[in-house]
Amino acid sequence: MDNIFLLKTGWRSIWRNRRRTLITLSSVAFGLLVSVTFTGSADYAYTNMIDTSATMGFGHVTVAAAGYNRAPSPSLVLSGCDLVLAAAVKSGVRAARLRIVAQAMLAAGGRSSGGEVMGIDPAVETGGFNVFLRDIVRGRMFTPAETRGALVGEVMARRLKLVPGRRLVYTTTDRHGEMVSGVARISGIFRTGVSGVDNGVVVLPLARLRQVLGYGRDEASFAALFLADQRQSRIVRNSLARHFTGIGREILTWRETQADLAGLIAMDRAGNYLMQFLIWLLVAAGIFNTMQMSVMERRRQFGIMQAVGMAPRWIFFLVMAEALWLGVCGLAVGVVVTLPCYLYLRHVGLNLETLIGNDYSAAGVLVDPVLRLRLFPETGLVIVGFLFFIVLAAGVYPGLVAARTRPIAAMRQR
Amino acid sequence: MSFFAKVMPFAAVIFVLFPVPVQAAGIGRDTARARAIMTRVDDLWRAESSHGVMVMRVVTAHYQRNLKLEEWSRGRDESLVRILYPPRENGTATLKSGNTVYTWLPRTDRVIRLTSSTMMATWMGSHFTNDDLVKASRLADDYDPGIVFTGVRHGIDLIEIALRPRPDAAVVWDRILVEVDRSRTLPLVCRYYDEDGQLVRSLFFSGVKMMDNRLLPTVMRMVPADKPGEFTEIRYQSLEFGLVFADSFFSVNQLRRR
Repeated sequence: MDNIFLLKTGWRSIWRNRRRTLITLSSVAFGLLVSVTFTGSADYAYTNMIDTSATMGFGHVTVAAAGYNRAPSPSLVLSGCDLVLAAAVKSGVRAARLRIVAQAMLAAGGRSSGGEVMGIDPAVETGGFNVFLRDIVRGRMFTPAETRGALVGEVMARRLKLVPGRRLVYTTTDRHGEMVSGVARISGIFRTGVSGVDNGVVVLPLARLRQVLGYGRDEASFAALFLADQRQSRIVRNSLARHFTGIGREILTWRETQADLAGLIAMDRAGNYLMQFLIWLLVAAGIFNTMQMSVMERRRQFGIMQAVGMAPRWIFFLVMAEALWLGVCGLAVGVVVTLPCYLYLRHVGLNLETLIGNDYSAAGVLVDPVLRLRLFPETGLVIVGFLFFIVLAAGVYPGLVAARTRPIAAMRQR
Repeated sequence: MSFFAKVMPFAAVIFVLFPVPVQAAGIGRDTARARAIMTRVDDLWRAESSHGVMVMRVVTAHYQRNLKLEEWSRGRDESLVRILYPPRENGTATLKSGNTVYTWLPRTDRVIRLTSSTMMATWMGSHFTNDDLVKASRLADDYDPGIVFTGVRHGIDLIEIALRPRPDAAVVWDRILVEVDRSRTLPLVCRYYDEDGQLVRSLFFSGVKMMDNRLLPTVMRMVPADKPGEFTEIRYQSLEFGLVFADSFFSVNQLRRR
């Protein structure tokens, strides 16, 4: 008995009941569509949130003084920044930026608010790696020549009555724990959509903040490294760790610096997998049901086949060949149905702004209100492989039932 | 005691605590004259050290509060204020040493060092902030004075001086207007404006008396512009100058002694 024979017979068998086969194929195709949509939208949303979170300060990978992530303080200073940046470039990061961050009291004309000052280098920062530059809604980014420029969030600007040109005083503690103050003139106002950020962050020139906090030219709070693909963060971290082991620095991925976001994603991903598992279970039950029906209806056929000398194991393989065809054809139909949907949702998306608004945030990161898909190739292969496995698995029991058919009893059936 | 220091509210609370040397003039004639007036005012209150007792009355929309305070000061940067009354707060003290401010709470026996996040919190429930306390002694470095009015206003012959912040000064006010009694060279009122030109608060000086052979306003009232009916009033009961303190007097250990 050769495999070609089994495949040919299996192919013929599945088309004996065309309607049932078409229903089975649509189940598999539906499973593929749902899996791709669920996984693709989740992967897009996670990547989007991770990338946005990275541009809010810490990058995908962060190099800081040891202990900074656990208890951030101006006294924990990253020194040798030039060396860190050089090593980062060697590790293949897309961009590396130095940042100084400190908690501060911000005041203007008798009004005050608590918040955070973030020092950035205006000569190298761009909107691609800094959400505050990207989201300026009034005024502009300060130039390298404007040593007292500042960007402030829209909510804080409203509370402190700030407009471009106005004076803002920040009071913080320097690297020695002494209270220090500085003054800035508002250059621009940003709106990220995350109220906590728009009400709490003031962006200042790095050089000026170094001066106020007593940092040296080669010092900062941390270096934020940006990657083309956030999934490479562990690899880059490990690569950098080899350079800096045991010299008072810590190298962290976004999972450590944005623990809230990492926790949220892990929880959401688990829920997503559970939902997909249930859907796959339904698909598998549907396929199992139709195959079992098919086997039960063909008991006489299996009895005759055994009576003329076909071994039970070949009958099992015959049913599995049918399952194989159902899997292959179902996935082919699934690809045909899913691909246009995927391409549309990947490039155009579905705008859910009327449902969730345009300022919905999670774990301090703005969520894109446009539903888009982004499926990583390896994830796509896992989905296809898993669905194929489910179809085959759904065929095992009907195959065993067919193989156990007793010829005489089966042939008595009409 | 510096006039510059007095135009800041906390300096008004304990206005002998922060003597500030006025910068040498050298800009315009008007500026030089304004500085000269302030130097005279400054000299009037200048003292190496001081000790006094005062009563502070705080009236807000939600509560009223009366405190009796004792204060000691040395130079510009060292001061200690301790609450004498009411009994439940007796012993609570604030120490300023340079830019650092500590508060001791006797009930919990804890010394708290003020951080940047508490700088804009009120000082002892009044209309003064911790930031006023820290920055009181830096006004001379932060503002440029200029005369904006000379003549009779409200029946008083006065000089009005405008203090404008220097470009790099870390101060929140866009302008402080100070009215000085021309004949006695004593401050009458300080008005604080934001960058919209809106009056934010006013500090009124009154109750001029001789204290330890110095003629001084002994009553100061801080009135926020946006809270009608609210104010904080400081009334000096006694004040003496030229005392000698041990070096350890303005220390955290001293802060904890009742």
